[in-house]
Amino acid sequence: MKNLKIIKKDPLRFLISGPAGSGILQLGEILSSALNSAGYFTQVYPEYPSRIRGGDNNIQIVVSSKPQIALSGKMDVILTMDEILKKAHSSELIPGGTILSSDDLKLFELEPMKSNPIVKNAFFAGLIWKICLQDEAILFSMIKKILQGKYVDLNLEAAHLGFQTETATQYKIKSARGKIVSKTGNEQFASSALDAKVEYASIYPMTPITSLLAFLAKTKIKMLIPEDEIFAAISTLGASYAGHRALTATSGGGFCLMGEAIGFSSMAEIPLVVILGQRTGPSSGMATYSSQADLNFAINSSHGEGQKIVFAPGDLAEISQLTQTAFNLADKFQIPVIILTDKFLSESIFSSAKAELDQIKIKIDRGKKTNLKKEYSRYADCKDGISPRAYPGDVAHLTNSYEHDEHGFSIDDSETRERMVLKRSRKIKNLPKGYSVFGKKTASKVIVSWGSTKIPILEFIFENKQYKFLHINRVWPFDENIKAELAGAKQIAVVENNSTGQMARIIESKMHVRVKSLLKDDGRPFFKEDLEKIKKL
Amino acid sequence: MKDNKQIPSWCPGCGTYIVSSALKGVLEELKISSKDVVVSYDIGCSGNMINILESCGVATLHGRSIPFACGVKAVRPDLTVIAQAGDGGLLSEGLNHFIHAIKRNDPITLVVNNNQVFGLTAGQESSATPKGVQARASQNINESEPLNIADLSAASGGNFIARVHENNLSQIKEVLKKAINFDGFSVVEIIQPCKIWAKNFPQKKYKTLAKPFEDRRKIIGRDDLLGILYCKKT
Repeated sequence: MKNLKIIKKDPLRFLISGPAGSGILQLGEILSSALNSAGYFTQVYPEYPSRIRGGDNNIQIVVSSKPQIALSGKMDVILTMDEILKKAHSSELIPGGTILSSDDLKLFELEPMKSNPIVKNAFFAGLIWKICLQDEAILFSMIKKILQGKYVDLNLEAAHLGFQTETATQYKIKSARGKIVSKTGNEQFASSALDAKVEYASIYPMTPITSLLAFLAKTKIKMLIPEDEIFAAISTLGASYAGHRALTATSGGGFCLMGEAIGFSSMAEIPLVVILGQRTGPSSGMATYSSQADLNFAINSSHGEGQKIVFAPGDLAEISQLTQTAFNLADKFQIPVIILTDKFLSESIFSSAKAELDQIKIKIDRGKKTNLKKEYSRYADCKDGISPRAYPGDVAHLTNSYEHDEHGFSIDDSETRERMVLKRSRKIKNLPKGYSVFGKKTASKVIVSWGSTKIPILEFIFENKQYKFLHINRVWPFDENIKAELAGAKQIAVVENNSTGQMARIIESKMHVRVKSLLKDDGRPFFKEDLEKIKKL
Repeated sequence: MKDNKQIPSWCPGCGTYIVSSALKGVLEELKISSKDVVVSYDIGCSGNMINILESCGVATLHGRSIPFACGVKAVRPDLTVIAQAGDGGLLSEGLNHFIHAIKRNDPITLVVNNNQVFGLTAGQESSATPKGVQARASQNINESEPLNIADLSAASGGNFIARVHENNLSQIKEVLKKAINFDGFSVVEIIQPCKIWAKNFPQKKYKTLAKPFEDRRKIIGRDDLLGILYCKKT
């Protein structure tokens, strides 16, 4: 082509849209893996309606030389599978960007797409590869690897045609060094659960944790198909009681049914780990969209006053670190541990330096266990409040959801009740640090956040050095050292994907100061442009 | 486990005395060590067997003894796992778990103490309360047929289905023994009308089935039969 322009761009942003069932999500998986092999960091954010076929499934793919990536509402390149979708997304294009539909590319008359519209996504993959000035062989080997024999030749043919297509603009991106891997948050949860030696899982399907269920089903973990989230949580407690590490996961609606299991875990002192994937609520909400509105719900789940820990990892590395830690602490303190994630963190594909992820291996600690040398009492009143466990098969003993004495017999006298409440309240001690601080130490303005908002905020402070960033990854019990970290700040801006500022209220109640909130509750994660509003708070 | 001189909480004449003694006897006769038996208990009067029966006992939540037991057995097939339930926990709060444990054929034994009423909360109508009686806290006479545990089991594809009565200790023991030894989900319902709140309820005339049905569908509607009603041949 005569007027071919080559533009340097970092990061480069694509949006690809098609109806549900057209392979848009798989396209994201293939492209991010291929781009990682070619030496780039990527982020793939999917948006899709709750339906099996039709509608608008789209992914945003960001390609960058650096790991800090924030999503944006503005794209360099938009590819759509029909004209309606092209019109719907045209306002998201930057001036001078490229927007093309299947019709523009005449895919309706071009084989193999004409007879097999299902390989349109592979054509798009080839086209994107061309636009990014990449080596065709890398893409081809990734298509072969991911599709594993399913219509590979047809897909390769389509991808090749896409790669042959002439475009007016191509983009050159600086590449990074070292081996980069890509995975969804849910994939990382699954592999971290395996690192933690989980042997039982029961999970009722619900967006956004459904793909976690699919990953675990491919492993040797024993899984029972639950009739509801109540079975999922209570059978997980059963497996845990029997001496094996066990996991359940759900979203807010399912977690409503798990409240009794959280209390049961606290009272009977049976370790329980629950992954809670937040989505837009209340009630059925927007089933496939993201949210951070279950913070208070997780912290306050169950009636009564039981002990619990709530983690909120913000990226792949923290998912690995905190999932493994969650199992250790659940075992150590014999309590429920909830790990908060959300649709954005669980279902987007993130990339990370492989070496950095691989090094996160935490030693397994199953907690105190009886040596059976003296007569065993399940709830012996120890100084640290932590009674050694026995598993069934070791010795006959009682485990009780009612208030109980040291032996596990139900009681209702005031003296024993007070003693056992105090025993349990002594358990949680010496927790690892519950937050991290990023950016220049001397910066006087602080952005505070928790969970998945970490990802875009890291990019924001990379470009706005006047801010530092305090990321809370253990939201409960609140790390009291945060108070000292925030004490001298000129401005505290709390960024959350909810409409009431739940963490902002917690910080205010702890610190007795007013903080500013930047909130977003439209079902989408924070984009780059949203974060610019911090400057106007 | 320390004895702690636990005194049974049941009223004079309560069938749970019989059931707990039967269960204790059967586990002894089967020579299963108390440390290798997990019994998960429902909430209610009969759940207080936890204080009497020497085993790894777990007081779970109302309606949740089955899910807990299934989780234990899933990872510890070496243990004998029994779930205890009352008619309230089984047929109301936890019915979903009951039919699905049958569907999955989770290899546990379910022991149901059916006293036909919510006993511990003082006599409210349960899903097992007979037709034609008015329970405390009910606005009207119960005009619906009770849910039937054996019928539900048969309709859900149950592989071991039994019904026994509190007045026949030797039959309770014999049936429990076979249920515990059965490889798959087994259910033993014990009819033991509450001596306080169900004392005026009309009762069936029961007879013992000589031989289990070959076809589990024949159970349905036969709420007058006792014994092992169906046992899938393995």
